Amino acid sequence: MIARYSLIIVVFILFIVEGTVYQIFAPDLHGFPYQLIPRWMFMLILLTGIFRGRGYGLFYGIVFGVFYDIVYSQILGIYTFGMGLIAYILSISIPFIKDNVAMTILTVTFGVVLLEYYVFGMMTLLGVTDMPHETFFNDRFLPTMIMNFTLLVIFTYPLRLWFQYLEKKFNELV
Amino acid sequence: MSPFFSNKRLIILLVCMIILVALIGYSMSDRKTLSWPEQFVADTVGTVQSAFSIPAHLAAGFFENVRDMRNLYTENQVLKSHLDEFASLQVELNQLRRKNEELEGALDLQDDLDLMDYTVRSAMVIHRSPDRWNELVGINKGAQDGIEEDMAVMTSQGLIGKVKQVSQFSSSIQLLSDQDITNRISAMADGDESIYGFIEGIDNESGYLQFTKLDIDAELETGQTVSTSGLGGVFPEGLMIGEIVDYENDEYGLTQTAYIEPSANFYHLDYVMVVERGAPTLEDDINPDAEADNS
Repeated sequence: MIARYSLIIVVFILFIVEGTVYQIFAPDLHGFPYQLIPRWMFMLILLTGIFRGRGYGLFYGIVFGVFYDIVYSQILGIYTFGMGLIAYILSISIPFIKDNVAMTILTVTFGVVLLEYYVFGMMTLLGVTDMPHETFFNDRFLPTMIMNFTLLVIFTYPLRLWFQYLEKKFNELV
Repeated sequence: MSPFFSNKRLIILLVCMIILVALIGYSMSDRKTLSWPEQFVADTVGTVQSAFSIPAHLAAGFFENVRDMRNLYTENQVLKSHLDEFASLQVELNQLRRKNEELEGALDLQDDLDLMDYTVRSAMVIHRSPDRWNELVGINKGAQDGIEEDMAVMTSQGLIGKVKQVSQFSSSIQLLSDQDITNRISAMADGDESIYGFIEGIDNESGYLQFTKLDIDAELETGQTVSTSGLGGVFPEGLMIGEIVDYENDEYGLTQTAYIEPSANFYHLDYVMVVERGAPTLEDDINPDAEADNS
């Protein structure tokens, strides 16, 4: 029972933590000159897509994209579309990516790069920001990627074991 | 291997893009209230966020207290010296207040609306948008607690923004530093004469608030305090915004632009006050919004 819903609960908790707990301790609000944007929830969604299949990736991407749009941003549709599409494209459940931790990390990192640039492009297009690309790249993109990549490297292997455990549980239930 | 995007998928993708554009158009339009699905999601998530925020604020407050304790002694000395000043100021204030009342009575100004009147409701900050594209902050009070759109929001140090969208049990606040073009607040600088202008977001290079559309002949000085003017219709008068640190002519040389160091800290927000103005807003027959609603 708990195993069945544990994944969606963890994704939801990450979604909440990104906006509440992390924002209280966020380094850029305490004088750190670079912006570190947490993309933990999205990385877990991509891992879900890789380990559990494309349908799950797409479903989680769209559902939590809608949440993200409504709660954290004022323009509907941007994250719904972006997260859904990127999760769909990168949910490649072939053994080459699934069984190779390095390949998994690379795929997920690529997904976060795509999302960051997609959102930056949309915000520029809609006139929400007039940040030049150089500033975006140095002050925001690189620090964000370093932070997320580090966490990804640490947590991918334990998460893979967890996904395998979940897989076994589901097979027992059926 | 089958083609990655078959015809069917391509059509679905195109339909999704059309929906995306429609949704963006809908949310960029000048809508006043949130639709009910949005309110439902915002309120449900807001409840969970409150549960996460309370312990986080407590932990952050604890660390801050420990840091404060170190310079407690010096701070106490400074405050003690201020206290003597305070007593004499209090006497002066009482005298001036009495005099003002007498003069107002003599001029029959009693019935005039007082723009400085306001009541506050305190609320806890429950989230802040994690992608820094917009400066939005969520609070745990909504329409059920009497919060309305466009109300001013402040901390004890000064104004921080206005209420952007209200849902039943939570609402979101747009900070003064938000880059949105519609984020504009009527303000005045305190000189020999009041100088009126607009606060229009933050300057990208310096990080100060921009105070624009000031009269070209106005005599600005650094160190002048800037506060809300109460002329916008919703804000009360006299909420502190900050101090002028620099000013220059604008790009066309027709008005002046001043740069303001905000007195409130936009970064460490835990509890905020939502301000409701005591004076009535515009009467319906001269309010363009009400007219639009009727027609």
